[in-house]
Amino acid sequence: MDLAYSPKQQAFRAEVRAWLEAHVPKEPLVTLECREGYDQHVAWERTLAGGNWGMVTWPEQFGGRGLDLIEWLIFEEEYFRAGAPNRANQNGIFLLGPTIMEFGTDEQKARFLPPMARGEVIWAQAWSEPGAGSDMAAIQSKAVRDGDHYVISGQKTWSSRAAFADWGFGIFRTDPESKRHKGLTFILFDLNSPGITRRPIRQLHGDTGFAELFFDEVRVPVANCLAGEGQGWNVAMATAGFERGLMLRSPGRFQATAKRLVELYRQHADTASPAAREAVVQAWGAAQAYAYNTYGVAAKIMAGGSIGAEASLNKIFWSELDRAMHRTAMQLLGAAAELKRFADGSINQWLEGYVFSLSGPIYAGSNEVQRNITAERLLGLPRVGAG
Amino acid sequence: MDFRFTDDQLLLATSVREYLAGTHGTQVLRRLDEQGNRDPAIWQGLVDMGLTGVLVPEALGGLGMGLVEAALIAVECGRACLAEPLVDTAFVAAPWLVREGRTDAIAGIVDGSRKIVPAHAINPWLADGEGARLQSVDPLRNLTTAPHDASEDPYLLDLGALMSAAQLVGIADAMLEQATDYAKLRSQFGQPIGAFQAIKHQLASCMVAIEFARPVVWRAAAALQAGGAHAATHVSHAKLAATDAAMLTAETAIQVHGAMGYTYEVDLHFWMKRAWALSGAWGSRAFHVRRLDEAVIGGTIPIGPEHTFA
Repeated sequence: MDLAYSPKQQAFRAEVRAWLEAHVPKEPLVTLECREGYDQHVAWERTLAGGNWGMVTWPEQFGGRGLDLIEWLIFEEEYFRAGAPNRANQNGIFLLGPTIMEFGTDEQKARFLPPMARGEVIWAQAWSEPGAGSDMAAIQSKAVRDGDHYVISGQKTWSSRAAFADWGFGIFRTDPESKRHKGLTFILFDLNSPGITRRPIRQLHGDTGFAELFFDEVRVPVANCLAGEGQGWNVAMATAGFERGLMLRSPGRFQATAKRLVELYRQHADTASPAAREAVVQAWGAAQAYAYNTYGVAAKIMAGGSIGAEASLNKIFWSELDRAMHRTAMQLLGAAAELKRFADGSINQWLEGYVFSLSGPIYAGSNEVQRNITAERLLGLPRVGAG
Repeated sequence: MDFRFTDDQLLLATSVREYLAGTHGTQVLRRLDEQGNRDPAIWQGLVDMGLTGVLVPEALGGLGMGLVEAALIAVECGRACLAEPLVDTAFVAAPWLVREGRTDAIAGIVDGSRKIVPAHAINPWLADGEGARLQSVDPLRNLTTAPHDASEDPYLLDLGALMSAAQLVGIADAMLEQATDYAKLRSQFGQPIGAFQAIKHQLASCMVAIEFARPVVWRAAAALQAGGAHAATHVSHAKLAATDAAMLTAETAIQVHGAMGYTYEVDLHFWMKRAWALSGAWGSRAFHVRRLDEAVIGGTIPIGPEHTFA
């Protein structure tokens, strides 16, 4: 156990900090979940790529820096310290990218990864269907083989970023006789293909971040299939593992929120309840605990290990922490909590954050599903009802 | 930067775990409960393993290890619900006496002839002392009234709190395992109760609490070993996280056991009572919340994403 950063790691932190201080927009961007904000965030992705910061852990040939996971954590800590914008391409760089790295052919890696790292192609995920939410194996959307193409018909929903993104990825039923986890194939598709209709879904805050996708005989080359026909479930589970496990929500995000919460508390100390005060202290503790755990997981992966069902523990922890921190902030704000903009005209980011935090325990596999996974795969309790 | 244990550290923890699993099972707890709580043979076994000398410098006849190794062993003592005062003697008193330069008692600690349980003003009792008896809810804890000359040394308090936190993590592990095993065996409505999501989700929540308390304990052990300015903050964080995880797991474990959990016959109560005892020992929850509050809201510890290991 060595809890000191090496001189090289310290120099890297200084380099990241200096670049971010020079480049992070001074004013917060408009929310990603509208056209104007989306365009601003895509422009930021390209600024990041201009500094070669698109995805620091990727090999240089794919647009990365070939750095290790500790350096990635340092990058992320500095990223959130600087208050840099949310990543428009998080579906690509954190989920699909590692999946292509693991399952893709050399040709697929060369074709898809560099434009992803450069922010030129923004990716949407397309897992859920109206009848396949928590029960993802109930997927019905079909991809029928026709020569060197698949012909896709069906419907996807809750597709993050799909209102504005360029490409999408998801799993489709390629074997019409198959049931449940079998006969599914992981396919990448151009969201502007003929036959795809996007219907943006208005979210509870009024903006449109995700969308329904309707596929009407959409022709997609077989070359866009990842890891072979029928392998979709295994590939999707690996992708979901990246999502829940390490990359989607790095600790810096929550440590930054905890720090802002402490500052908010100090402004409202006169009116805060003792319970809110303890919740603020606990928020710092939990964000730190998540960071320690992540450093441990990173060290384990760097030593050749992997993260399996433990990813579910992480997802439960960070999503419920995020909700708790924002709930505390709403309590501290009191009557001002409901204001979309404060009297001075500034956006009530705690309110926006609270609304968003309510989605955390739902997306990337609901926390009920995560608790089932924890109980069945980590504690060995019997499985029921899953075919 | 490498937040992992070495192979040697893991081997040490595994060997202690296996030794205690083999020699200190629940039948031993029940025998001790009926026959006076302490057994010189158990103590001698721990001494023979070298555990009393873990934190004693090699120059004084010990193994010269650090608080991270000791915390790893303390987790195993909690897991086994060990009654003998190994943690208090070897992982709290020994490093404190060495720090104080009071080395006259060290040889006796290492060779097992002396059990020293230090008195600190934070505790209203003395564990395994010689004063008037006090009765603990934990049938295997021998408490006496606190002496008048109890120490107020903050380092001693931090050692006691850290090692209590480590034991609480091991106690929580053990209770979660017992409840999980019971949920696999006990059948109602035609299936093991562990197949019901109402049971699964409660046990999963315990696992989340334990797994995110564990690295906080390691962080605190490393900090107290290094002696940095914020070591006390990390120790309070560890005690708080471990207490909350253990209390949640205790209440969940008895609930999962149903009426059986409320009996003396089921073993769970030994661990549950130790959890109650250690939760309040070496600084109450309120004490450690206040120390954390002074650091975080009071602003004495730097906070934010760049200060994971501040």
